[in-house]
Amino acid sequence: MTEEKSLEGWAPEVSDELTLEEVIERAFEYRGDVTISRTDGTAIVGFVYNRNRQSAEPYVEMLDASANSHLTMRYADIENVVFTGRDTSAGKSFEAWQRRRESARKARAQRAQSSGG
Amino acid sequence: MRRERYPLVLMLEPLLRCNLACAGCGKIQYPPHILKHSLTVQQCLDAVEECGAPMVSIPGGEPLLYPHIGELVSEMVKRKKYVYLCTNAILLREKIESDIFTPSKYLTFSVHMDGLREEHDESVCRDGVYDEAVNGIREAVRRGFRVTTNTTLFDTASPLRVREFFDAMMDLNVEGMMISPGYSYDNAPDQEHFLGRDKTTSLFSQVLSGKKRRWKFNQSPLFLQFLMGKRDYECTPWGNPLYNMFGWQRPCYLLQEGYAPTFRELMDDTGWDNYGHASGNPKCQDCMVHSGYEPSAVQETFTSFKGFKDTVVATLTGKL
Repeated sequence: MTEEKSLEGWAPEVSDELTLEEVIERAFEYRGDVTISRTDGTAIVGFVYNRNRQSAEPYVEMLDASANSHLTMRYADIENVVFTGRDTSAGKSFEAWQRRRESARKARAQRAQSSGG
Repeated sequence: MRRERYPLVLMLEPLLRCNLACAGCGKIQYPPHILKHSLTVQQCLDAVEECGAPMVSIPGGEPLLYPHIGELVSEMVKRKKYVYLCTNAILLREKIESDIFTPSKYLTFSVHMDGLREEHDESVCRDGVYDEAVNGIREAVRRGFRVTTNTTLFDTASPLRVREFFDAMMDLNVEGMMISPGYSYDNAPDQEHFLGRDKTTSLFSQVLSGKKRRWKFNQSPLFLQFLMGKRDYECTPWGNPLYNMFGWQRPCYLLQEGYAPTFRELMDDTGWDNYGHASGNPKCQDCMVHSGYEPSAVQETFTSFKGFKDTVVATLTGKL
């Protein structure tokens, strides 16, 4: 049984081994806010809900956490992504739920067996 | 040969917020600012027009938390759209009593019920929800609203208990029931935990064999036969397209691989051949969920004589 790993707090170092495209892909799958630092020195916090790698100019789309407005950013304008927000899916996977259900069921069966003598 | 693609049911999510936090539900796992965000009524209506599907299902999130739900439903009914408002029914009685809804043949409350009291309350991780939902159903039926139930069955379901559950729902005078197998949509299937195809057909065969005539399903009988392993279909992922605050979800209701800005782009630019059982995509191998396969069953009913005949026979005889 594998434990689920969260990317919460992850501050990747973009390199030849870990490309910006790969980091953005992880940000797209992440169920929490991230902080995107841009090549112009600014940073923005929000939720990445889409990306398009096939576009002539690949871009990400996010909902800005402070203004709750939709933003589009080109990959070319992004320096890095840090996983700063709480991972809202941590420990809440379907597998975790099934395991909890199974544990609860076994506990109920044991209680019923005990009370039945 | 390229199949003509058209949507059957628009899945419209005006918000993702919910008043339950069911474990295993990926719909509400978002930061608070996302959960506070919702579509405007106009954005919803634009999506309805853009899609053109004759039916609109409003899941979520819990749509009864949407502050404009009465107005939204009213506008869609005016447009003669068949609206299925999917709710956990915790707020159903309160909303009905506040008169924001009017009974109509176009409006159906589709109440989420995952089993009898014990199973349902365990599924939604809160005691008392089954009784609240039953209370809401009774009031809605009493006031003349159309009410159906929707149920997800997991591999832990007891066929006997599910059959008792069907009896209990019909005793509430609901118009029909909808059932579908549980399926993990964020992760590749794991045979140890998820309903694989063999498990699905075995479970649904046990649940539906010798179907009682009084059990009414608000579903294609051919889809139910598919769940029992009596038919084989390929997925129609565009049959139930999903629109929410992020746009048109690619490729389907369950898989969340990105968003298209318009319905047309969703239909034209999605690599549909990469999805469905036949594609070999591991994410699709065990999926038999209604959002992908019921449109295929409906398609067979309306495009082949045999499909039409089988549907009529199953409907008239009540046998699957």
